[in-house]
Amino acid sequence: MNVYSARHYDADRRLYDAFEEATGVEVRVLPANAEQLLERLRVEAEATEADVVVAADAGNLWRIKEAGLLQNVTTSALEQGVPQRLHDPDGAYWGFTKRARVIIYRKDAIDPAALSSFDDLTNPDLRGKIVMRSSTNTYQLSTLASRIERLGAANARAWAAGVRANFARDPQGSDTDQIKAVAAGEAVATVCNHYYAIRLQNSADPADRAVAEKVGLIFPDQAGSGAHVNISGAGVTAHAKRRDRAIMLLEYLVSDAAQTMLAPLNDEYPIRPSIAPSPALAALGAFREEDIPLDALGRHQAEAASIFEEVGWR
Amino acid sequence: MGTFMLMLVGGGGAVACGAVAAWLVSLCQFPGRGMFEWLLALPLAAPSYILAYAYGAMTWAGASPVVVQGFWGAAFIYTAGLYPYVYLSARAAFASQSACALEAARTLGASPWRMFTRIALPLARPGIAAGGALACMEIAADYGAAQHFGVTTLSTAVFRAWYAHGAPGLALQISAVLLIAATAFLVIERRARGRAAYAGGSTRWRPLPRVDLRGASRFLAFAFCAALVMFGAALPLVWLARLALMHANVEDIAQPFLNSVLLAGVGAVVTLLLATAIAVAARSAGGAGKFVLHAAGVGYAAPGAVIAMGALGLFGLARDAGIVGGLGAGLALCALIWTYAARFASAGVQPIDAGLTRLSKGLDASARILGAGPWRRILHIDLPIAAPSLIAAALILFVEILKELPATLILRPFNFDTLAVKAYAYASDERLLEAAAPSLLIFLAGLAPIFILTRGIGRARAGAR
Repeated sequence: MNVYSARHYDADRRLYDAFEEATGVEVRVLPANAEQLLERLRVEAEATEADVVVAADAGNLWRIKEAGLLQNVTTSALEQGVPQRLHDPDGAYWGFTKRARVIIYRKDAIDPAALSSFDDLTNPDLRGKIVMRSSTNTYQLSTLASRIERLGAANARAWAAGVRANFARDPQGSDTDQIKAVAAGEAVATVCNHYYAIRLQNSADPADRAVAEKVGLIFPDQAGSGAHVNISGAGVTAHAKRRDRAIMLLEYLVSDAAQTMLAPLNDEYPIRPSIAPSPALAALGAFREEDIPLDALGRHQAEAASIFEEVGWR
Repeated sequence: MGTFMLMLVGGGGAVACGAVAAWLVSLCQFPGRGMFEWLLALPLAAPSYILAYAYGAMTWAGASPVVVQGFWGAAFIYTAGLYPYVYLSARAAFASQSACALEAARTLGASPWRMFTRIALPLARPGIAAGGALACMEIAADYGAAQHFGVTTLSTAVFRAWYAHGAPGLALQISAVLLIAATAFLVIERRARGRAAYAGGSTRWRPLPRVDLRGASRFLAFAFCAALVMFGAALPLVWLARLALMHANVEDIAQPFLNSVLLAGVGAVVTLLLATAIAVAARSAGGAGKFVLHAAGVGYAAPGAVIAMGALGLFGLARDAGIVGGLGAGLALCALIWTYAARFASAGVQPIDAGLTRLSKGLDASARILGAGPWRRILHIDLPIAAPSLIAAALILFVEILKELPATLILRPFNFDTLAVKAYAYASDERLLEAAAPSLLIFLAGLAPIFILTRGIGRARAGAR
């Protein structure tokens, strides 16, 4: 069977290898970025060889679904494996890992109590002290999309403008680059996906570990709506030629075996709380997640992009 | 606007550095000159996006002697990474210059600087312009470095429309603007060059008189060349090697390496054939041939991902028409090679065309009078004389395809990774340690062709045999 994957982790390959071992079905993978995979699927239409699409970020999965390139699948194994909020209501895509959007701050620069919520990032006291990744990035878009869903577009615009006013520099670089800028004293705080911070802690490069020493991690909005959580997920293509095997792979991805195997490899959160996360994540403790329908991240994505542009967060 | 400013600063920097370096190693004598002849071409092997990552990491670690950030960071990357385009074509141009003109100038008491600005430089203008045009189009098409440094350019706008707004149609419209701008740019460049004829000059070939640099200028020449090599190649190479060593359990990259070399080899040959046909047609045919020449040049200014979308679109049309079925492995590779040809034909056409431009018009006329038909003239006169340019073009194409990312990413078959794809996969996941090894290999795989390439230019001079 064939998989289009927008996830490039070596851990995923190990997962597919284990699946091959367990089922005897060969898994061929084409890793590329989500947007280009979507175009390839669109053009190939019913001639596609891809049976499964894997992507990070619910916004990307939603787009593929909207383009009519996924088919709805529901089985009891999937329904039992994936909490209701973490899959498409129609069954077009199913989450198999979770990632939290967290605040990273420099320990010697600010009291974490002053940064307990995303709202705190707009505090005028932080003028010139925030660095952020470009708004082209899908994680950034989804973060704003969740705010549009919860509080409306006007609130989201005011928040983006407030954070924008606090920028220490124009957005540049990756999530990891933002953390490094905070550690280096260029800024006091930033926002990133949780596993980038964990990776620095466990890096083979001592310079990376020194960065991790200097910064702290906050799950935001614990007293309010909960931290923004996104998924990596998979779906069966609309024109899958090997539908049965595709469903087998989806079920495997959320099975206990795959979840326990993946957890320590990638420092993402397992899709359901019954599976233990990696030791580094366990050390961070439990946190409260925001509760919004995942497809909202896709529905508000274009609007989020426009808001970012309006407030000059490029 | 960002695109224009980057072309002005980054492209201008590349032209200045490349032209001066080519002049120094071609027409001056100073310690280390022979070594710099090929060392100076090394940065050609480094993709801009990998330079950007490497310098970003070095700047952060405090290991970079210059702070590489923001707009100036991007301009620096383009200057350091793209000057070899100008260097190579300018050097080929200097190497084919007549000794007589330079000796005459010297006899008349011209200083080395005056000889450079009044004789050598104007004569080498087609070569420098060709290299400069390549560098500028490379800047226009680049997405990785501009995005990394947060500079808004036409290319980043293309991807914003596509990725953030989910509007590939709008992305194509912005790309069209990019192509129109590139066309205008090329037409202006051709016009500026078109009025003068550069052919011939002298039939007496002797080694070029080198100016022996003395005192401070010796040191300056050495330092200048050393700085270019250090910033463009040595520093990022050492840094990547350091990171690669740190991450010892590198996944097997032998297969991606073979895939890369195979694709680049086949792609280079196909593209070379196309480029040669275009360059020859443009010379012998009239307006239509010239038009094709311009049209082929434009592809180079478009982001690879956009051209790949075009290839997908063509495939879609063929599928709708029932000519082909699915995008199987064979067809995917064909589409990929077609995309390389579309995107890089210009990189091949420019040196070949520059090589043909130097042919004396009289030679062609003599052959005509002796009754040689057009095919005979092309096969027995034009191409053998332009052979060094052809080899140079093939090697440049090989290195270009080795570095290519976006089209390879989306058009390749299942389970088929190349070095660039591997490097991207890790880098996009922000695993720079793991990305270092494949990046380093792209660099190293490009070294051999570059070494041959620079050796070839030195020998290409008729009098040097």
